[in-house]
Amino acid sequence: MTTQKHDFSAALQIEELAPSARLSLRVRPQHRAQLARALGLDLPVRIGDRTAADGREALCLGPDEWLILAPEASALTAAAAAIYATAPHSLTEISDREITLRLSGASVLDLLATGCPRDIAALAEGRGCRTVFDSATVTIWRDGPTAFRMDVWRSFLPHVRNLMALAEAELAAGL
Amino acid sequence: MSRYRIAGRGRVDHGAPISFTFDGKTYPGLRGDTVASALLANGVHLMGRSFKYHRPRGAVTAGSEEPNALIGTSRGPGRFEPNTRATVQELRKGLVTESQNKWPRLSFDIGAINDRAYMLFSAGFYYKTFMWPKSFWDKVYEPFIRSAAGLGKSPTEADPDRYAARYLHTDLLIVGGGAAGIAAALVAAKSGARVVLVDENPELGGALLSDPGVTVEGQPAWAWLDASLAELRAHGVRLMTRTTAIGYYHQNFVGLCERLTDHLDTPPANAPRERMWRVRADQVVLAQGALEKPLVFDGNDRPGVMLAGAAQTYLNRYGVRVGDNPAVLTSHDSAWYAAFDLADAGSRIAAIIDTRSEIRADLLDAARQRGIRVLQGHTATGTKGRLRIASVRVNPLRGGTVGAGREIACDALLMSGGWTPSLHLFSHTKGSLAWDADSNTFLPDRKTEACQIAGAGRGLWGYAPVLADGVAAGLAAVAALSRSAGARQFAVANDRPGSGVSHTELPTDRSPGKAKAFVDFQNDVTAKDLRLAVREGMRSIEHVKRYTTNGMATDQGKMSNINGLMIAADALAKAPPQVGLTTFRPPYTPTSFGAFAGYLRGQTFQLTRKTPIDPWAEAQGAVFEPVAQWRRAWYFPKPGEDMHAAVARECLATRASVGIFDASTLGKIEVAGPDAVEFMNRMYTNPWTKLAPGRCRYGLLLGEDGFIRDDGVIGRLANDLFHVTTTTGGAARVLNMMEDYLQTEWPDLNVWLTSTTEQWATVALNGPNALAVLKPLVEGLDWDDFPHMSVAECTVAGLPARLFRLSFTGEVGFEVNVPARHGLALWTALMDAGKPHDICPYGTETMHVLRAEKGYIIVGQDTDGTVTPQDAGLDWAIGKAKPDFVGKRSLSRPDIVAGGRKQLVGLLTEDGSRLEEGAQIVLDPNQPLPMKMVGHVTSSYDSASLGHPIAMAVIEGGHDRMGEVVHVPMPDGVKRARITSTVFYDPSGDRLKA
Amino acid sequence: MLLIHCPYCEETLPELEFAYAGEAHIARPADPSALSDEEWRDFLFIRTNARGPHFERWRHIHGCAQFFNAVRDTVSDRFLMTYKAGAPRPDLSPKEDAE
Repeated sequence: MTTQKHDFSAALQIEELAPSARLSLRVRPQHRAQLARALGLDLPVRIGDRTAADGREALCLGPDEWLILAPEASALTAAAAAIYATAPHSLTEISDREITLRLSGASVLDLLATGCPRDIAALAEGRGCRTVFDSATVTIWRDGPTAFRMDVWRSFLPHVRNLMALAEAELAAGL
Repeated sequence: MSRYRIAGRGRVDHGAPISFTFDGKTYPGLRGDTVASALLANGVHLMGRSFKYHRPRGAVTAGSEEPNALIGTSRGPGRFEPNTRATVQELRKGLVTESQNKWPRLSFDIGAINDRAYMLFSAGFYYKTFMWPKSFWDKVYEPFIRSAAGLGKSPTEADPDRYAARYLHTDLLIVGGGAAGIAAALVAAKSGARVVLVDENPELGGALLSDPGVTVEGQPAWAWLDASLAELRAHGVRLMTRTTAIGYYHQNFVGLCERLTDHLDTPPANAPRERMWRVRADQVVLAQGALEKPLVFDGNDRPGVMLAGAAQTYLNRYGVRVGDNPAVLTSHDSAWYAAFDLADAGSRIAAIIDTRSEIRADLLDAARQRGIRVLQGHTATGTKGRLRIASVRVNPLRGGTVGAGREIACDALLMSGGWTPSLHLFSHTKGSLAWDADSNTFLPDRKTEACQIAGAGRGLWGYAPVLADGVAAGLAAVAALSRSAGARQFAVANDRPGSGVSHTELPTDRSPGKAKAFVDFQNDVTAKDLRLAVREGMRSIEHVKRYTTNGMATDQGKMSNINGLMIAADALAKAPPQVGLTTFRPPYTPTSFGAFAGYLRGQTFQLTRKTPIDPWAEAQGAVFEPVAQWRRAWYFPKPGEDMHAAVARECLATRASVGIFDASTLGKIEVAGPDAVEFMNRMYTNPWTKLAPGRCRYGLLLGEDGFIRDDGVIGRLANDLFHVTTTTGGAARVLNMMEDYLQTEWPDLNVWLTSTTEQWATVALNGPNALAVLKPLVEGLDWDDFPHMSVAECTVAGLPARLFRLSFTGEVGFEVNVPARHGLALWTALMDAGKPHDICPYGTETMHVLRAEKGYIIVGQDTDGTVTPQDAGLDWAIGKAKPDFVGKRSLSRPDIVAGGRKQLVGLLTEDGSRLEEGAQIVLDPNQPLPMKMVGHVTSSYDSASLGHPIAMAVIEGGHDRMGEVVHVPMPDGVKRARITSTVFYDPSGDRLKA
Repeated sequence: MLLIHCPYCEETLPELEFAYAGEAHIARPADPSALSDEEWRDFLFIRTNARGPHFERWRHIHGCAQFFNAVRDTVSDRFLMTYKAGAPRPDLSPKEDAE
């Protein structure tokens, strides 16, 4: 389900991405490596760092929290469950909790600056952060100089999209 | 060509005429004009009436500090704005403007009677006059004051414009695009730092725009400006004009209001009118310059009396002579240059009247060369002219005495009482000020923020020192950013250095008590008012300010504060620094509500959360209500139904057959890990150890103070896994509280919390036919092992589901959770399956009625943060054998075990009427006033199932008062109500077992 | 709007990402039932209300979600430092021998 609106798409594109599997992993540092092996994905330790392998992605959100993306969840949950006894953790599927927007185009940093108090321009490519857009908690992934993904809690999305529509119109007006 | 416009002069576009209207009359103007400059070009000085005395007034400044020339502007329906400064509003095609505070017209105003009654309207007038009799206040005094007061007209329509907001992060923010700011930017730009330079004016350049004769680095000022700005642009400096720094907050957080469209003939579609920038800068340079002070003398507010610097600006920036034969009255050198520029442009200077007896020789020479009469050591003691100054009365000062006066005819009077640094933003930071006795002004002293102050803003005068100071500030900022940049020197020729002296009121030979010598033009405060305030006992400058309203107008005393202080200090016989300055507060200039609101209006006023089933409810015509941040379907009216009828129908249908309810907003938290059960035991009052996987239980959460915080049904999915539900409004709070305990009190526990509120869409089915509707859709569930209060993972309508069997209605009930993307599909499937049973969608109101009929509490409605489990009749939910849980210790606190606590009970009125929620309750309606209130109604509904209203209430000692009658005052009389159990419907609970 | 240094993210970020969480270094008693009514009252309700440096808790709620401690001067509204939950209360007294 990709929706694309407006004709000034070169400057700004806002697309809703099709759902994929999303999991929240919580594990103590001493068991991190075990989980990483089970998930087949390095788990970075610096908050905001990301890794990717075989279509899977991990973003470190907190000292014991990782957001895991994958095409499908069951293989990951099964692999993790298999080592639960020696590496206790929580791996909770939240695929439906958020909806992911892809935000791209030359004006994308201006769009983000309408709602994010944090300096998103300072977020390095290939990193991510959980932050706030207006009053909604969001997770932002920077994929390129003008390419971002934003995970928005499902019920907050109408508000976020309404705000983005105002910003889009404003950016199109050119002032 | 307008009468006072000089062809080709100034920065206005002489090839681009624009007409506009003022009070219905059309005037010609030029692109680049302000309303004030265009009116002055047409010889119009009278631009408004003052606030209190309705005195005729003209523009006294050429900038945002203007106190007098406030106008209404409009651009079609809904786009009327009062109190716009004519000195700031740029001309645009079709601009319609009007003067204010006048009736019936600007040149003849009834309200000016106040002016003749000047002696009556002194400081504190309102406080004294309207004190007595008390009964007169509501009916006489207040209506009179309200009708007479007010600054301009409020718009009556909603503002159709858009407003925007943006965050901006930068290394260096420079406020003020004059010589100092530009110099700072020029050096900082080369350091590689991100630099933002903002100015409230349409053009950068500051005072240099009004001093084209100055030469910088061998170039005329304006050529140097062009080159410098081009250099800044080339280095990527962000230059922002029409952008006012309105407030300076902690840690270099600066609010900027950018005006985007008010100057445009036709704004682009969807363009915001203004944008609020929230800037975070590592370093700030304040280069805001200085504001010229008026002189305080009788008649100093007559139209045509204006600041000398303003006249110089009108001449050099707008090509407008403010008069044919202006006089100049000054105590500072700067006004002499204004006189010279005007003389050179063809005005005949009536005289330069300087209060000082010693004048710089070069100034005297320059005046002599131009044939200007100079009166040294003179004071001004009055002006004449009805709607425009016609003459000024001047007197020689000899040895402290005022000599005989004489009239000097003039059509404008250009005054200068010297300059005061613009300290507003610096003061916002609580930076301290130091009194400079030489210049008789406050200068910035100790800083609290990472900022530099440069140029005239810290008392420097003349372009050479100001430019050098800007360089120094830029270098200091760059060094503080751990960067480096080369120093620069700017050679200045034809500079305009200056100094002056400061005065209280100018000396006069007339009775000072009769002088209308204005200090605060906008609030009509005179020197006499200030002295009266001191005589009447005001000692603090803050009291003097409030008693007289000096400095309290929309210009925040930009022109009046220092003069007011000097006069108050003189009256108090204290030195000015001992009296001190009142506090400047944001915003620096009046700022529209729209700019503060930004995007947060209308549909985006507030975050509104919607469930996956919301589109269905909307299509069905549901009426919504806000619950926490959510909008929830309140009830589903059928054609012709009001709320009462719809809710009654929904309640009856659910109890008779089956109702369906969107419960997706319930908070959900996944509690997972080996220590999950231990964690649950510690958090919730209930015992969890023996709850088998596959079963669920009502959970009660207390604060450590023993009061109920939240509740919800909690399912144990596996030994190590709980599915916790919370109230809709409590979801975030409960998770926060749990995380708090987990992270900071019990970090040793191996358990983790994940919010799954939005992972699941939740649909509740309730009623005797709920099972019949659901059962055919369920696969993978052993119904033989699924009694009331069970939970299982299965599929419903082919969707992966967590199915709860529980009831918040007293009927057989289920809550089906499916991944949120499938929520609508689940709802539709259940609606289809329920058709044979006349399934009835119901909203939150019916949910409330059904639960109240069963006495189930709503946390936050029947509890208010002071209700214990015992108070609410929930002792049964406490695991008494548990050694500890959050709040347990508080349940034995003296205040909690004491008798007489308010306890939750049912109430039934004797006359069958419905009580108001929140109504107070008394035991004896005949007791003397004030009556002792023993509680209040917490929930009250019409119960269609029971055929009469029901209510719940908290009443002192309520559990021991069963059957007693209490009294509830209602709008239509005191109601008698009998205390009952809270369980009104099916008290035996048989329906759940069906 | 303040800037707050999150000791977990090791970044200085806008206040809007954070939530205040009350005074710091008030540990829940290991066995509340052993406390007298007065001791329990003090734990529940009595706070220092400091004028000057105040030890307090914040949560990076729109970030790493961690609770942490901070010292903020209640007069100037400046953060003097932040540190991780569980770390000892820092000594703010001036050092005798500055290095």
